[in-house]
Amino acid sequence: MKTTHVIAALTAGLTLSACATGGAPAKEAPKLAQPSAAAKLSGKIEIWSWDVAAKALQRLAPEFEKEHPGVEVDVRDIGYDNAYDKITVGLKSGSGLPDVITLEDTAIAGYAENFPGGLVDLTPVAAKYKADFDPAKWAAASNAKGLYALPWDSAPVGLFYRRDYFQQAGVDPESVATWDDLVKAGEKIKQATGKRLFVSDLTNPAAFTTLLQQLGQGYVKNGEVAVASPAAVRALTLLKTLKDKDLLQNEKGWDGRVSATKQGKAATQPTAAWWTGTLTGEMPELSGKFGVIPLPAFDPGGARTSANGGSALSITAQTRNQDLAWAFMEWLLAGKDRQVSMMRTESLFPAYLPALADPYFDEPQPYFGGQKVNRLFADQVRHIPPVELSGDDKQAEELLKKAVPGVLLNGADPRTALDEAARQLAAATERKVAS
Amino acid sequence: MRRALVAAVLAVGAVVSVLPFYWMVVAATHDGGELFASPPPFLPGAELMANLARLEESVHFGRVLATSVWTALVYTALSSLVSAMCGYGLAKYRFRGRGVLLGAVLATMMIPFQVLLVPLFQMMASVGWVDTYQSIVIPFLANSFGIFLMRQAFLGFPDALLESGRLDGAGDLRIFYRIVLPCVRPQLGALVIFTFMSQWNAFIWPLLMLNSEERYTVPVALNHLIGLSHVDYAGLMLGAFLATLPLMLVFLLFQRQFVSGLLGGAVKS
Repeated sequence: MKTTHVIAALTAGLTLSACATGGAPAKEAPKLAQPSAAAKLSGKIEIWSWDVAAKALQRLAPEFEKEHPGVEVDVRDIGYDNAYDKITVGLKSGSGLPDVITLEDTAIAGYAENFPGGLVDLTPVAAKYKADFDPAKWAAASNAKGLYALPWDSAPVGLFYRRDYFQQAGVDPESVATWDDLVKAGEKIKQATGKRLFVSDLTNPAAFTTLLQQLGQGYVKNGEVAVASPAAVRALTLLKTLKDKDLLQNEKGWDGRVSATKQGKAATQPTAAWWTGTLTGEMPELSGKFGVIPLPAFDPGGARTSANGGSALSITAQTRNQDLAWAFMEWLLAGKDRQVSMMRTESLFPAYLPALADPYFDEPQPYFGGQKVNRLFADQVRHIPPVELSGDDKQAEELLKKAVPGVLLNGADPRTALDEAARQLAAATERKVAS
Repeated sequence: MRRALVAAVLAVGAVVSVLPFYWMVVAATHDGGELFASPPPFLPGAELMANLARLEESVHFGRVLATSVWTALVYTALSSLVSAMCGYGLAKYRFRGRGVLLGAVLATMMIPFQVLLVPLFQMMASVGWVDTYQSIVIPFLANSFGIFLMRQAFLGFPDALLESGRLDGAGDLRIFYRIVLPCVRPQLGALVIFTFMSQWNAFIWPLLMLNSEERYTVPVALNHLIGLSHVDYAGLMLGAFLATLPLMLVFLLFQRQFVSGLLGGAVKS
C-alpha cells in the first residue's frame, strides 16, 4: 500500500531467510475447539495492533470487560512500521507472541503457508459467518486448509476526482463508466487544465496489483503462476496506455502521492475508502473539491471496485486462552454494533456486511460537497473480486518491481516483461506457469 | 588559487552535511502539512511547542527519553567495565587457550546480528525476559569490538609497573582500578562514546523485546509515529532532533579522549 509497508515486508522476508535455526512449530494448524456454551469466560488475553485499529481496541476492550466480569483484554500498540518484524520473529521462535495479532490481508497467506501451525484455524467456530463477510477478505484470510483470520476492515476502491478540474474540462464524472471513458476524459482534462489523470509511483507495482484484482485475479491462480495471464497483460497494458498518453503523474512513494494531491497536480485518484481520512486529515483546505465515483470498469457491466489494504485478527498458536480470544474477536467483529461504532469513531470500514446497512453510511459528507461517499463505498464492498493469495506473493512483488517499471519507464512490451517475470517466479517457487 | 579551491570543496561538503540537520530543525518547528507545500519552508517555524505537546501526548516522549537515557547509561557503564576487564585479561594474563579465546572473541564480530535474532529471542523468552529492561542490556554486555579495543590499549602497558604494584602488596583488582585503568583513559573515553551510541541508536532488538509502551526507548517510540495512512513528520523530526542532543552531550564530554583514543597505538615510539 505504501513504501514503508514494503520495507517492513522486505525486512520480514529477510529475517525469515536469514534465520537458519529456530523452533520447529507443529506442522498442522491447531483447530479452534467449539467452546461449550456453559463455560464461563475468565482470564486474560493480550492483543497486538497498531494505528487507529489499536485505538479502536483500546476504546472497546473496557466495554467487553464490563460485559464479562473477571476477564482482562490487554491491548498493545506495537506500531505499524515494523510490526511484521516482531510477528515474524515471534512465529519463527515459537515464543513471545500474544494471544491475538492484527494482520493485513496481504500478510495472512504468507504466514499461514510459511509457519504452518503458527496461527489457529478458526474454521470450526467461524465458518457460520462466511456469508456475512466481504467475500474478498474471507478469501484472503483462508487457504485450502483452513481459515486463519477473522476479517476486520474492508478497503473498497473507488475513483476520487477533482470536481473543479472535471467542470473546467466540461466532463461529467457520472458519464465515466469504463477505463476507456476515463482515458478519453483524462485527455480532455489535460488539455483544459494541464493536469494529469492520477498520481502513481511508476517504480511500484501497487497500481498494477489493484487493477489485477479488479479483473478478479492475484499473482497465482489455482496454485499456478499467473502474473503473465491475459488479465495481467490487460491490466499492465492499461497503465502503459495511460503512461504513453502522458496521463500519469509519477511521484515517489506515499509522501509523493500526498504532496502531489495536496498541490492539486492530478484530476483523479483510484484508491481505497481510507484515502478519505488522508484527505480530510492532511488537506482540509481542499474541502469541497473532491467527489467519488465507482472505479471505471474494464468492460461495461464489469466489477467497479477492487481492494487496497484492510486487515484482520488472528489467534496465535501460542495463546493460553483460545476461548476468550475467540469470544472477544466474535464480539468485536462479527456483529453490527462494534463494527458501526469503529466506522464512526476510527473510520474502519466494516467488512461485516450487515453493518453496512446502518444509516450512518447515508450521511452526506461535507468534505465531499455533501456527497454520500460512505454509501457509495459500502455498496461496493460485497462486489470486491476475491482473489487467491499465496505465500509467494512477496516474491512475485519483488519480480514485478522490475517488470512494471520496465514497461512504464523503459517502454518494454507488457506481455514480454510479464512472461519473463512469470518464468522467474515459476523457477524460484517450483510452481507451474498457468497456461 | 589552490586554497580557494580547497575552501570551495570544503564549503560544499559542509553544506551537504549540515543541510539535513538544518532541515530537521526546520521540519521540527513547522506543522506537518506545511512540509509538503511547494516551495517547502526554509526558515524555522513557530510550531515547536505544538509539536512538542503532540509528541508528548502521542508517545509520552519525556518518559521515553528518560528510559533511553538510563538504559544507555547502565549499559555503557557495565559494558565498558566488562570490555576493559576482559581486554586486560587477554592482554596481560598468560593462560592456556588465551589465543583461542581472543580468536573466538574476534570471530563473533563477523556473525551478522540477523542470524542471532531468533535464537537470542528464544533464550530471552525461555527465561521470561520478554518485555523487560534487562533483555535489552544484558545480552550485549560482552561486546567483542570493545574487548578488542581495550586489549590493544593494554598491550603496550609495561609489565614492570604491574610487578612493582604486586611487590607493594596491591591485589589484582586494585592494580586494575588504580594503576592500569587511569592510563588508558583515552581509549576508555572512545569506548564509552561507542557503547553509548550503539545502545542509544539500537532499534531492531529493543523493538523485538519491548511490548509495553511504558518501556519503549526513543527509536522504538519514534517508529510509532509512522502510521498506515498518516506519518507525523513534524513529530518524527522533532523527536529525532531531541534524540541527537544527549549524543552530542556525550561526545562533547568525551571528545578529547575520543580523538586521541582512535589514534592511540597508531604510532609507537
